[in-house]
Amino acid sequence: MIGYTVQRIGVAILIVLLATTALFVMIQFVPGDPANVMLGPRATPELKEALRERLHLNDPIYIQIYYFFLGLLQGDLGVDLTSNRPVTSIIAEQAPYTATLVISVLLVALMGIPIGTYAAVHRGGSFDQISGVVSVSIIAVPPIVIGLYLILLFAIQLRWLPAIGAGEGFWEIIKHLVLPTLAIGLTWIGYVSRLVRASVIEVLMQNHVKTARAFGIPENKILRRYVLRVALPATVTVLGVSIGFILSTDVIVEILFSRPGIGKLIYDAVISRNYPVVMGTVLAGTIFIVVATTLSDLLNVMLDPRSRKLNS
Amino acid sequence: MTTITVKPLTKFARILQIIRELCSSPLVVFSLVIVLLFFAVGITADYIAPYDPIKIDIRNKLSGPSWDHWLGTDQLGRDVLSRLIVGTKIALYLAVTSVSIALIIGIVLGMIAAFTNQWIDWALLLVFDTVKSFPGIMFALTIVALFGPSVNSIVVVIVFSTFPSYARLVRTQVMSLRNSEFIEAQRAMGSSLPRILRLHILPNVIGPVLIVASMDVPLVIGVEAGLSFLGLGVRPPTPSWGSILNDGFLFIRNTPWIVFAAGLPLILTTVAFTSLGESLRDILDPKLRK
Amino acid sequence: MQNKNNLINIKDLGINFGKASAVKQADMIIKQGQIMGLVGESGSGKSTLANAIIGLLPHAANIIGGTMDFEGRDMLKFTKNQWQELRGREISYVSQDPMSALNPTLRIGQLMVDIQYGSDDTNEVKLKCALDALEQVRMPNSKSRLDMYPHELSGGQKQRVCIAMAIMSRPKLLIADEITTSLDATLEVQIIKLLKELQSEIGCAMLFVTHHLTVVEALCDEVTVMYNGVIRETGSVQKVFSSPSDDYTKSLLLCDPARIQEKCRRLPVMSKLELKSISDPKMDKARIDLLAVPALSIDNLRVNFTKQRSLIDLLQRRPGMCIEAVKDATLSVAIGETVALVGESGSGKSTIARAVFRLVKAQGGRVLFDDADLLKATPHEMRAVRNRMSMMMQDPIGSLSPRTTIGAAVVEPYIISGQSSELNLGEEANRLLELVGLPSDFSNRYPHELSGGQARRVGVARALALNPKLVIADEPTAGLDVSIQGEVFNLLASLREKMKLSILIITHNLHVVRHLADRIVIIYQGQIVETGDTETIMSNPAHDYTKKLLAANLQAKY
Repeated sequence: MIGYTVQRIGVAILIVLLATTALFVMIQFVPGDPANVMLGPRATPELKEALRERLHLNDPIYIQIYYFFLGLLQGDLGVDLTSNRPVTSIIAEQAPYTATLVISVLLVALMGIPIGTYAAVHRGGSFDQISGVVSVSIIAVPPIVIGLYLILLFAIQLRWLPAIGAGEGFWEIIKHLVLPTLAIGLTWIGYVSRLVRASVIEVLMQNHVKTARAFGIPENKILRRYVLRVALPATVTVLGVSIGFILSTDVIVEILFSRPGIGKLIYDAVISRNYPVVMGTVLAGTIFIVVATTLSDLLNVMLDPRSRKLNS
Repeated sequence: MTTITVKPLTKFARILQIIRELCSSPLVVFSLVIVLLFFAVGITADYIAPYDPIKIDIRNKLSGPSWDHWLGTDQLGRDVLSRLIVGTKIALYLAVTSVSIALIIGIVLGMIAAFTNQWIDWALLLVFDTVKSFPGIMFALTIVALFGPSVNSIVVVIVFSTFPSYARLVRTQVMSLRNSEFIEAQRAMGSSLPRILRLHILPNVIGPVLIVASMDVPLVIGVEAGLSFLGLGVRPPTPSWGSILNDGFLFIRNTPWIVFAAGLPLILTTVAFTSLGESLRDILDPKLRK
Repeated sequence: MQNKNNLINIKDLGINFGKASAVKQADMIIKQGQIMGLVGESGSGKSTLANAIIGLLPHAANIIGGTMDFEGRDMLKFTKNQWQELRGREISYVSQDPMSALNPTLRIGQLMVDIQYGSDDTNEVKLKCALDALEQVRMPNSKSRLDMYPHELSGGQKQRVCIAMAIMSRPKLLIADEITTSLDATLEVQIIKLLKELQSEIGCAMLFVTHHLTVVEALCDEVTVMYNGVIRETGSVQKVFSSPSDDYTKSLLLCDPARIQEKCRRLPVMSKLELKSISDPKMDKARIDLLAVPALSIDNLRVNFTKQRSLIDLLQRRPGMCIEAVKDATLSVAIGETVALVGESGSGKSTIARAVFRLVKAQGGRVLFDDADLLKATPHEMRAVRNRMSMMMQDPIGSLSPRTTIGAAVVEPYIISGQSSELNLGEEANRLLELVGLPSDFSNRYPHELSGGQARRVGVARALALNPKLVIADEPTAGLDVSIQGEVFNLLASLREKMKLSILIITHNLHVVRHLADRIVIIYQGQIVETGDTETIMSNPAHDYTKKLLAANLQAKY
């Protein structure tokens, strides 16, 4: 168990290293001279050259990567080309908005678990059939379309909910969270419920459930201890891995609803060729995803006793 | 356990049986129709569009649905219906190209991973995991920043984001097949590796992978919609479903029907492909039956 | 009154799966304290009947008629609550597969406490009860087992836990559904012994569902024989086994290789009930050529399996865990001879076969076939060898490629060895199928459409395609009903007479081996412990393990 944890963390670190390097190499191909952008067109060639020296822009790639990692370990992701502020603080400013959205999406997605379980237990019934059709439809539709239709209906036609910005004050924030969360979250409720349904159906057919029934253990206890305990860990892993997709969709939703956050940040940075910010944000996103995936993997292993070392 | 005698079925009869089972659900029949329509419209788009999709007619801008323009016109007076029809062509091109390329790369890499030694397999797995760790859209934005917005940028993005899952799937399937008894029997008979791959492994692996791939078509369409919506996808004035959504969004308060109309083909095709894929998977997977 | 004594009274019971009937008009009476054996082959409906008694029929099954009473109460009218009260308290059920019967996420102690959900006792009392039950099933180290997870126990131990759970509440009836089918013979003996002791300690009635006739004879008082959903005969074990009145029962008893004492040329099968015993033992021995070089000669074979090393082990240069699967094995098969390699699961017998075919790597020794050491042969040489030596694998349906038709499968050896151009493959396929007694229209079928016995025959056909000198058959009778075992036996026997075939049979089934094999080699934990010809080993085993094995397999009285 400990061996696996160490191994898994090691792999995670390796992945981050590889991803960063790959990203760094890619960014090198972005057209445009950073010195030009930072100092403006009126700067003298000597000033630009001095800047380039300072930022190691003339050194071969592997040296640049080295300095980048050095800075990374010290928490320095470079400096925003336009505003001269450190990238780390810019990200730290915008991150909470994105974080709130992601967390509320996860909470909403968790509602898929009871839906899927109920559908599995009452398989073939009307709830199962209806929820099946609805889930499949919702999973399929791209979040952007869901978001747009939600705006059409709730913001424009009915005028119930706001569609722009994040809001100030607790209730306003919640109100502003509703539509964006639904835009991403509806897909996820559908996905989670399908997953849980398939998992529970499979476990319900297994021998240990039949044995439990043969001993007269009441159904709800069986559901809790014999079915869900076995079926859920797999769902946890999938959720963890899906964080990447949630983050991805989050970007679009932030733009659509004009919300502040990491998504808007990277969008603006790409448009303005602000490559330190692009680098920094993508890196932050990657690290976040790797951490989430690793955690869910480890959680899965912890929950399944079969992976623990055998004593005898 | 009762023994129920099964009458032998030829391959043809088996396919007919699958189709019959598929057609038992109205949703699936509907999806099949939509998918076929998608292909048909995509291929014949240029011929069946009533108007030239990029012809500008400012006098007629933002007019609602009418007999002349069934879905109205956009802010430059272009016929929305024609633009949607031609947009189908782009969606079809994207779906077919990106999924095919990703499939080929995924299958090849997956097979290599399954058959080489522990080190190379490990290295390949690392590559797959790393690629999967990039936040999709962020990576897409980066690619667009590098190569500029275009249809082929989207293809690159999709291929990059989807091949790891195909590769992993193929790898797992092949590894489990490799240890199965009938493959052992083949080896005991002296069958060569290429022969085993061709005749016994590939046919058993392609099925599940194809189904997963067909369910990625909605993803492709969604990514294009998203990117074009951000203005980073298809270059104007080429119409694509996403760019029409974008145009419509700018004027959503006065002319909501553009967004509504552009959303329809998106919803229809994505739901159709997904339910078709799911039904196929349910039919072919004995565990989920009954 | 007679009724008071009847624990279970089933009359005219019918159970259907959709339109197919699984149980037809079944009558069965189980009295208090009685051990009833329910015997039948696969598809007879015995498990369905057993499941009905505990009310756990699968969704697709319906009871279409008849009555089923427990102590006079009508079970067919039970509500969900009544069933719940009954299960685990008055009627207990132990299922076939101990590997999957226990919740993998709960410790044994937690599981056993769960079962006592109805009582108001404290947790400690419940745990004590569980401990007592474990002791009663003679579980070693019972205290520490309570804290373990199921995957930390062996198959036999898991089965004991299941039995312990079943007897904890002192049920009136214990249903054991094929509980020893997946266990090795030596283990089976222990479990049967345990059940017998438990029954006398607790005094419960038992319904023992099985297809092992010898076990029924040893354990049960009464027996019910089922075939095709119908109860053919019922009565005391003594009467039914010595003078059966029903035709099916008669054939079943006749066809069981375990009950046939004399060595025979052809075993009786359901279709042909005559026994053809060996009239002239000398003529039979004549097919074996002991003077020539043996067909196959294995000397000092060693096969080790190393566990894959994890990343940390690799970095620390720790060697992986090494399991010696085969240690120093030596055996030979003469031309025309049939040698049986007998051992239990995990003994290494299948590994030897795989090593001969170079499917696994051997670490030492020689395998001589046709004057060549197979372990040192180049792939090119091996190809030539595979023309003269073939293997029949263990899983009959699983060893056939699921997307290849039977006709294509049996002629595949020709295609692989490059001889396909000279032959009409269709005709060859028909010839081979005919050889093993299958109609030629089977050519178009797929493996999953065949029964176990039919698939086995296809395996034989494929193995014989290139007219090999030697066939290695890995568990040719495993998973087959007793009557079909005889058919496979007869097939192999007739083929070897016709073709002077040398056969190496790998098996744990000593009953069939007694008739088919000329010599027996016993293997235990990777080592060959005894060799000798069949009669000697059967009557006068030398090694301790051989004695244990024989006792487990053949002895009717425990």
